[in-house]
Amino acid sequence: MTKLLEVNNLTMEFGGVVALKEVNLHVSAGEIAALIGPNGAGKTTVFNVVTGYYQPTKGDVLLNSKSVLGLKSNKIARLGLARTFQNIRLFGDMTALENVMTGSDSRNKVGLVGSIIGTSRSRQEESLSHSRAAELLNFMGISHRSGQLARNLPYGDQRRLEIARALALEPKVLLLDEPAAGFNPQEKVELGELIKKIRDAGFAVLLIEHDMSLVMKISDRVSVLDFGQKIAEGTPSEIQNNQKVIDAYLGVVDNAS
Amino acid sequence: MSSIKIAFSKFNLRDSFGAWWENATKKQRIAFRVLLIGFFYALPFLDNPILGTPETNFQSVLFYPLAVYVAMAVGLNIVVGKSGILDLGYVAFFAIGAYTHAILGTFYGVSLWFNIILGAAFAMIAGVILGLPALRLRGDYLAIITLGFGEIVRIVALNLEITGGAAGIAGIPAPPNIFNVTFDVLDPKPHYWLMLTFIMLVVWMYIRLGKRRPGRAWEAIREDEDVAEFMGVETTKYKLWAFILGGAIGGGAGAIYSSQVASILPDYFTLNVSILVLACVVFGGMGNIWGVVAGAILLEYLPEKLRFLSETRILFFGLLMVVMMNIRPDGLFPRKKREKVYDKVTGQEISR
Repeated sequence: MTKLLEVNNLTMEFGGVVALKEVNLHVSAGEIAALIGPNGAGKTTVFNVVTGYYQPTKGDVLLNSKSVLGLKSNKIARLGLARTFQNIRLFGDMTALENVMTGSDSRNKVGLVGSIIGTSRSRQEESLSHSRAAELLNFMGISHRSGQLARNLPYGDQRRLEIARALALEPKVLLLDEPAAGFNPQEKVELGELIKKIRDAGFAVLLIEHDMSLVMKISDRVSVLDFGQKIAEGTPSEIQNNQKVIDAYLGVVDNAS
Repeated sequence: MSSIKIAFSKFNLRDSFGAWWENATKKQRIAFRVLLIGFFYALPFLDNPILGTPETNFQSVLFYPLAVYVAMAVGLNIVVGKSGILDLGYVAFFAIGAYTHAILGTFYGVSLWFNIILGAAFAMIAGVILGLPALRLRGDYLAIITLGFGEIVRIVALNLEITGGAAGIAGIPAPPNIFNVTFDVLDPKPHYWLMLTFIMLVVWMYIRLGKRRPGRAWEAIREDEDVAEFMGVETTKYKLWAFILGGAIGGGAGAIYSSQVASILPDYFTLNVSILVLACVVFGGMGNIWGVVAGAILLEYLPEKLRFLSETRILFFGLLMVVMMNIRPDGLFPRKKREKVYDKVTGQEISR
């Protein structure tokens, strides 16, 4: 399978603190890859490095076999890497639909002058952006929220809206940072189905998540980070039986209780 | 205080007008627009005891400060209100436009019609020169550097020979007649109509930009610049565009202004002007073009109307600001808080 996203020997130091040490990761086409590990293991730092927010101390990030190191975040996003955020970061004063359209706008070419004049291309792209955004809201099951301001949406719909906005970029790889945080078990099951649906629609997914039942159920491959180092990688069942992972993160089921 | 707050929040002019507007037929909307625009064009002839300013010439007041500040506020609104870039040196663009017409018009005989465009163009160039390095900064740091820029332009004008130093430039020509309308210093009406046309053009442009891609990009930057960047918005490019578009509007307004007043001094372009324009934007409601227009009209009109209070009028002005910011902290007419309705398939806004 083609590797869409590759992270090679990634090291990230903040002053004296080593947040990531020689981490290797990859995401292949058509798979859900998960990244798990204890708090502070460096999971979100991986997202921040691959999306160009941080410049790594060492190592390389390849998207479609091309290095994206040193590119601006917006360029990387348009090359095919979209993300959501651990703590929801929507454009609060814009409607749900406008939030999604901001993402789909990055596929458009019309500039400022074209927008003022209202060229036929600008009108075409506008109506395409509108309909694509409506379609995505529908896909995420929140089309009834389209006209509401993002800040007024219920928590769960805000999380769904973030995913819709990221999908609007039509990314090759979708990075989800704890999408199930704050969800109840029923919502988590629904989210799992949704992420599978996203994969089946042709997006590769890299998932950071603390809910192990969700991760183990939907992931094709799991990588484990601990203190900035990758300690294991494999299928969910391999990870569950890996002694290093059990010691560092998963723990043992206490039979006595 | 809280009971006052409740009373004010219940009376929501914006919402009750908005409801009427959304239910209005196309004909009613056109009629409303024509009436409103007609009213503003006819305003110089409506110098009556209710509207008029008893202590000063009403027609002069209409041009300066009213129309001039509305134009500047509309321009600054793109920068501060729409994109969230705090610019404390907006007067610099206004000064560049004013001196463009003053120098080219007086010494080289270039007509105002070209100088409006040239003034806007020079303001844009200045905006690029300042914006490229400065827009890497955010918030307070950016505010300080723009503040410095405003002062630099004034001090340069004070020290150059071609700008006439502290004495400024006098005898700035007005444009030739069009349609038998004479532009001259004694009659401010034609310049007022010219500025009004300029404002309408700018507002039209702003509305088109606002509901299309650039508008969304600017709003996204205002809401969360980092996230906008992650969502593929070229934040540097759009911030620069907002900055220089706002600057161009200031430059164009400056050229018209210098043509009307016929002589300008560096003293006309102090920090106070920047602050006052910013006050208009904040007072009216950042990011809502109609709020900003209303804010500028009110803030510039009231001090003239209150002139009979002589020196104490500034005190009343300050009091008004304090009261306003308490009962309507988001400004007179804050930007949309209303929900919209979109078509489920096309995603186009449906007017109710």
